[in-house]
Amino acid sequence: MVYYDSWEEFVDRSLELFRNDPIATRYVMKYRHCDGKLVLKVTDNNDCLKFKTDQAQDIKKMEKLNNIFFALMTRGPDADISEVSGKEQADQQQSKKGRGRRQ
Amino acid sequence: MVLLQADPFLSELTNMYERSTEKGSVWVTMKRSSMKCQARLKKMANKGEEVEYRCLVRATDGKKNISTATLLQVLAVFIARVCNEIMTRLKKRLN
Repeated sequence: MVYYDSWEEFVDRSLELFRNDPIATRYVMKYRHCDGKLVLKVTDNNDCLKFKTDQAQDIKKMEKLNNIFFALMTRGPDADISEVSGKEQADQQQSKKGRGRRQ
Repeated sequence: MVLLQADPFLSELTNMYERSTEKGSVWVTMKRSSMKCQARLKKMANKGEEVEYRCLVRATDGKKNISTATLLQVLAVFIARVCNEIMTRLKKRLN
């Protein structure tokens, strides 16, 4: 059971794990309100990757990962997830245009 | 294990989070599943039929189990929103 310190590494490794075995891999989320702790686990019953946090800023990251996993699980491991993670990029581009118009 | 539709599952999930504020944990698991048994899957593979996969989402508070199997992307967004409102106990960044 490995706890990852880097969010990016955790995400990359978990997506890799999923693509290798989409049927066996599962994503688990455990939340304890009394302790204020959130633990994420991705496992294919052979390897186990975990990420724990007590920071509110990580909720957004978890949200994104939720969307990515959901898209992969429903559409398939080869699904294009750029639209899920690319939505943020699109929003950023729009906001930049907004700033320009105000000037 | 109670298999529910998406909407009742989400209401029950929200209830679970609300009930577990003082003590306890809530586990939410997501997995790809065809919702069919091995025998059926083999038959379908032999016939060359395409297997449809869904996302199986399970939740438990240690006592009660609920689940739903769906294709709705909205579910993932909703779960995230529920988490956002409920996970208020996590520390805010100081800077």
